[in-house]
Amino acid sequence: MTDLTVDYTGKYKQLLLDLKCTVEGLLVAQVTNVWSIYGGLNRLYNATEKVFKHGCKAVSEDTTSDYWKFIQGLEWLQPNNVKTSPIIDCEYKSHIPQHLKSDKAAVWLYRSIENHSLSQKLSWLLSDKKHVESCYQQQAFLCQEKYAEAVLICLRSVERNHPSLISEINPCLFLSKINEQKYQKSHRRCSSFPDSHFKSIQEMKHHTKMIHQLEENVRAIDKDLRKQKFTGKMKPWNSMPNLSVNANSKKMTNQSRTTPSTPIHPRYLGKSKTQFPPLKASMKKARPTTSFIKKKVRHVIINNCDIIEHTPSESAWTDTLSNTSVKSCSEHKSPLKLNTSRSVPEYSFLTALAGQKDYRKQPKKTFIEDGGMSVLPMATGYFPRPTKGQTLTAFLTSSQFARSNAELDRENAHFSVSEAMISAMEQIRCKRDFNFADDQVEESDEEIMNLKQRIRLRRRQKLEERHRKMWAPSLSDKKADTTTTEASVSPLSTSPETPSHSISSDDVDDIEIDEAANLADLSGLSVSMASLYAESDLFKKPRGAPDGASDILSAEGVALSLISRFNEKQLPRASDLEWLVSEEDAPQALLPLPKSLPISPDDYEDCPVTPLRGTQEWAPPRPQIIFTPHPRPRRMQLMAKQNYRCAGCGMRVAPQYASRFRYCDYLGRYFCTGCHTNQLAVIPGRVLQKWDFTRYPVSNFSYRLLEQMFVDPLFRIFELNKNISKRSKNLVLSRKYRLGLHYMKDFVMTCRFAETIQDYLENETPYLLNDPEVYSMLDLVNVRSGQMNNRLKCLVEMCCRHTSECELCLARGFICEVCDDSHIIFPWQLRNVTRCSKCKTCFHTKCWKSRNESCPKCIRLYNRRNS
Amino acid sequence: MATRKKVLLKVIILGDSGVGKTSLMNQYVNKKFSNQYKATIGADFLTKEVIVDDRIVTLQIWDTAGQERFQSLGVAFYRGADCCVLVFDVTAPNTFKSLDSWRDEFLIQASPREPADFPFVLLGNKVDLEPRAISTKRAQQWCQSKNNIPYFETSAKEALNVEQAFQSIARNALTQQSQSVDLYNEFPDQIKLTNTTNRNSNGDSCAC
Repeated sequence: MTDLTVDYTGKYKQLLLDLKCTVEGLLVAQVTNVWSIYGGLNRLYNATEKVFKHGCKAVSEDTTSDYWKFIQGLEWLQPNNVKTSPIIDCEYKSHIPQHLKSDKAAVWLYRSIENHSLSQKLSWLLSDKKHVESCYQQQAFLCQEKYAEAVLICLRSVERNHPSLISEINPCLFLSKINEQKYQKSHRRCSSFPDSHFKSIQEMKHHTKMIHQLEENVRAIDKDLRKQKFTGKMKPWNSMPNLSVNANSKKMTNQSRTTPSTPIHPRYLGKSKTQFPPLKASMKKARPTTSFIKKKVRHVIINNCDIIEHTPSESAWTDTLSNTSVKSCSEHKSPLKLNTSRSVPEYSFLTALAGQKDYRKQPKKTFIEDGGMSVLPMATGYFPRPTKGQTLTAFLTSSQFARSNAELDRENAHFSVSEAMISAMEQIRCKRDFNFADDQVEESDEEIMNLKQRIRLRRRQKLEERHRKMWAPSLSDKKADTTTTEASVSPLSTSPETPSHSISSDDVDDIEIDEAANLADLSGLSVSMASLYAESDLFKKPRGAPDGASDILSAEGVALSLISRFNEKQLPRASDLEWLVSEEDAPQALLPLPKSLPISPDDYEDCPVTPLRGTQEWAPPRPQIIFTPHPRPRRMQLMAKQNYRCAGCGMRVAPQYASRFRYCDYLGRYFCTGCHTNQLAVIPGRVLQKWDFTRYPVSNFSYRLLEQMFVDPLFRIFELNKNISKRSKNLVLSRKYRLGLHYMKDFVMTCRFAETIQDYLENETPYLLNDPEVYSMLDLVNVRSGQMNNRLKCLVEMCCRHTSECELCLARGFICEVCDDSHIIFPWQLRNVTRCSKCKTCFHTKCWKSRNESCPKCIRLYNRRNS
Repeated sequence: MATRKKVLLKVIILGDSGVGKTSLMNQYVNKKFSNQYKATIGADFLTKEVIVDDRIVTLQIWDTAGQERFQSLGVAFYRGADCCVLVFDVTAPNTFKSLDSWRDEFLIQASPREPADFPFVLLGNKVDLEPRAISTKRAQQWCQSKNNIPYFETSAKEALNVEQAFQSIARNALTQQSQSVDLYNEFPDQIKLTNTTNRNSNGDSCAC
């Protein structure tokens, strides 16, 4: 009796596996009426009956099955809806198996299965624990919650004719006690649908746990606070997810994208206020310290209370959750996400909604670093094309897929890829059916079917036994495995359509399921499920790992795990498939390239892909730097020019609704309300031409682009606008300071007596001193506010004081060669010193002019070189 | 004679990049040599106290950058120099050829009162290396053409002739300084002092 529990789990597994295999067999063909599959109903009935019979307490009189009492519970559980006594009419009686007709319970079960109501009824029955316990022993199958739920899932999937539902079954149920935690929630359905309801229970559990932890922390930090705010029972999960979004995105990053206007990016402001130590570094330092974390936690909890006040009822939970999960997805782009997920682990499921790559983990690049390529428009209409003869796997793993595509394109890729996968599967099956056509025997006889079923069962039992004994050796002992499995457990073989396959052991080549798949089968995972978990995914693959095969939940990732079960030989070529991307949607011909780009058509052959796509009527916005303001827009004219399409995503709008579109002041185009959320930004063109720092509404694309280039030194403002010096005295002054500092830094940075000043200069952004004419938008904003000049003035004074006193710096000064005055001059004495642009020698400006601006040193050098 | 003031002599070392200016100075001042090349930025100096003809003098040796790319810094330190040391690499003929321009440039920027008499010393460095590109004879010819500039063949690596060369440099510098003071009477107090040193150093410098 010691091995009792082990025995039972074995039995549970067996029962569940039978049921699941049957269900899969029924669903694999995807016929509209599952019962049209011969013997399907009978087999499902048998499997279900075994489940119902297992561990049943009551012993019934006469022929009725033991579980009748259990079923009868429905009469008081759901008195209105259900009649347990089946109305056995004549029509019905006709096809019910003879041996069942006298058994009320059996008939009920059979009937319930047939009219697709069993899952509902069973869930009612299971909902009353006491009733279940009164009818079943403790070790009964139906008393095991997890297994009972798995049965419900099986039944539901048959009722809805929806094979993918089976994948909701917790895979650990099939494993022999391998740590369960590992697999929980590792799987998410491969789409952009919201998470299914099955998980919410687990999630809630996690949330409660988490809340408890947080509560503990708070208790330690601030008892009073806890007393005040946490009297009474907390309703933990109501607010947890959304508060974590709010608290963190506001607190940590100081900016949230959807809030339409942030005056000037506070992040940068912060940096410029605290003059010398860079903010980022201090943040980094602060992060690991406990005090910081505690502080944050406290903040979270306080917010939590507020939110609880707003959402007092527990029922609000589901709504809030679903809302935030969608919102947060677009909202939360904090680069500090790692931190967030550490303190609030469950948060990740909100951000990591299906199919999206997690770009946030990568540090954000500035415009200069990547040319704005990381700022993607909503859509570019891009879909990669397979080259001729390219294999499916090669195509799906190619870098074309791995590159970051626009959001909408990634979504759309799911459609094209899934269509292509279906057609690939169809082709494989078609091929296989041809091969089988020869030895297909008529096997409609129920007896033969039963016999086969029995053979299969016995084989499986044997196999499982062996598997249990030598889990480890079986891994290496491939031969033994393949010989047994090919003839037995391949779930494809349970499909009633290809019954011969399971017996015929000679067509191994045809469906070659690799060892990993065998392993999965052995441990109870069927192909339908195992295919979704490539073995590598099960064990190690972290989400969003930026490797070649990209995200497992992306369109190509899912496709890859699906086809990974098949031999490469069987799969059709990628180029043979229909990818459902019409030429019209994504013309593969290049859009006209800007003339400024010197690319000859011959060179193009070498370029892999152009990231710019579009259609005949629309092209995605490009990451441009625009130096000039757009003329005042005339809506109807411009909309007509845009073919009434949103400049961001290409969505068309009827002319009468064109007024709904929003003007992007940066790109000078109209955008739909999805691509333009009225975010405000300083427009470079207006600053450069008119010294106008008003913030104008821009599209989301422009906003991100402008944000990205905000700190980049992109603007030689005095070259772009000759008259700009008339507009701002501050700008003229800052230009002088920067030029002066540019000269001074050559002296100060190489002077061994100026180490403290060197530290100050090194803290400045390098271009500020190295390239005195170039400005970033942030610099211009700071020039306007006067901050820039205060900072520069401070540095200039410091350097001046040093150079006028330092022996070394004075020695490195210049003596005007023309007048030979022994007074030392420096290049930054802009008022009376001029510097030769070629040899960098300095002269008094008046001496320089007296020589008609010809440099004596340059002349000497020239003469010497020629002699 | 008891009231002799401390004398500061300013020596400038010039020459193409990589000829061994910094190495020579380091060998002389610190008695150290490193095979690693590190370009000098701008100009910098080291000081060393030496005894020349029973007088303690402080040599301020200015090491300069031979590379043109450091031209954004000026050469105001040429002014007031007491001696200029020209260095070339005996294995690199180009460094010898550019000696003229270094000399000219120095005379223009330093603008000494008597350019023709300003003390230069020529050092042919790296004599430990083979093959020689500039023979001793050729270097001496150049020296003769420039008003009998003293010439030393040195090796900063082997510390060959370095001490002797700098001794001569110091002596020449001292001569120069006393002459200039003598000539222009800028500091009347010092006349006596310089007069005495003048005689001594004159005698010595003739031996070169």
